Amino acid sequence: MWLSDLVLSEIIEEGFKYQESEEAGGPEIEYTKPVKGVLFSHKLHVKDLGLLCESRHMAIFEMEAFKSQRNPDFNMDSLYKGKYCGACHDGKIAFASNTKCATCHIGVKGLERLKKKAQAVEKK
Amino acid sequence: MNWKEFFKNLRTEEQGCVPDETKREFLKIGLIITGVAAGGSLLHVVSVVAEGLATSEELHKEYPYKPHYSMVFIVDRCINCQLCVEACRETNNVPEYGWRTKILERVDTKAVDQQSQFMPILCNHCNNPPCVRVCPTKATYKDKQTGIIKMTSYKCIGCKACMVSCPYDARYYNEEKRAVDKCDFCWESRLSKGMEIPACVEVCPVEVRIFGDLSDPNSEVYKIVHQMGKAVWVLKPETGAKPNVFYTIG
Repeated sequence: MWLSDLVLSEIIEEGFKYQESEEAGGPEIEYTKPVKGVLFSHKLHVKDLGLLCESRHMAIFEMEAFKSQRNPDFNMDSLYKGKYCGACHDGKIAFASNTKCATCHIGVKGLERLKKKAQAVEKK
Repeated sequence: MNWKEFFKNLRTEEQGCVPDETKREFLKIGLIITGVAAGGSLLHVVSVVAEGLATSEELHKEYPYKPHYSMVFIVDRCINCQLCVEACRETNNVPEYGWRTKILERVDTKAVDQQSQFMPILCNHCNNPPCVRVCPTKATYKDKQTGIIKMTSYKCIGCKACMVSCPYDARYYNEEKRAVDKCDFCWESRLSKGMEIPACVEVCPVEVRIFGDLSDPNSEVYKIVHQMGKAVWVLKPETGAKPNVFYTIG
């Protein structure tokens, strides 16, 4: 395995991206807009829940990370209307977007924890 | 009397040994309290007004200030975006090492679904403030009109007794001011200039923080604190400080 495959963590202006392993199916994505510390976990959605990439990508989210974050309507109101995460997080398919806030909103504290974890892996 | 038996049963008077009735008497926080339930390290006090002895008129007498400033946290809404902390730093010139408000986090990796919860804290502007009691120079005092705990910086000698006595860890020593600094509900920076709410309340995107006059039955804080549907609690009621910051869930 190439070194670059092992760790793919990136702190960019738009947010934080961190890939734990190849099997995870994609990186853990930390959005920072409109509020800091919002997690989308590929590991949970693809590896643990077994969702298919095609089921969400292209239709709801583009392949490029943080692309949706640039849209002005990337906020909770859009989610309640069934856009973005709200397409599934509607209370029927998955828990509704207006419940269990701190599940996805891991906050600045959660973001720091994730960064530390990524750094620890990188040191190894 | 069998002294051997007597000494064997002698126990120190820790909190666990105090009967519930005594606790209830002790824990009067300016409201009518009818239930005490332990939850984690914090004691939850449930205030149920209608069940209590006081009518709302009588209850009014318990609020000695006008406006009686108070804050309610709808705690499960908090997402730790830190906008409140940043707004506070900017508004009140809080340095990097200090804080007037903080967000605490509780993580339980074995919990079902959501595994962390955030809890913002700030000065509780207590009715019976331990910090005011211990201050040797009266640099910190409770404002007679609004009930806000304020600081007179030039009187502060930096003994930090107030920091130790505060049950809520709401004070820090400001090196630049050479005095202890704390939340004053933005009195200096905003309220005294005619603005109605503190910076942290204004900036919160999910309305965790509700601010208002607890003695005004039309205010949102009054309505939340004086209802029966949802539990309302204060932090560390056992200290007897009678805080004016309440917590509930949305």
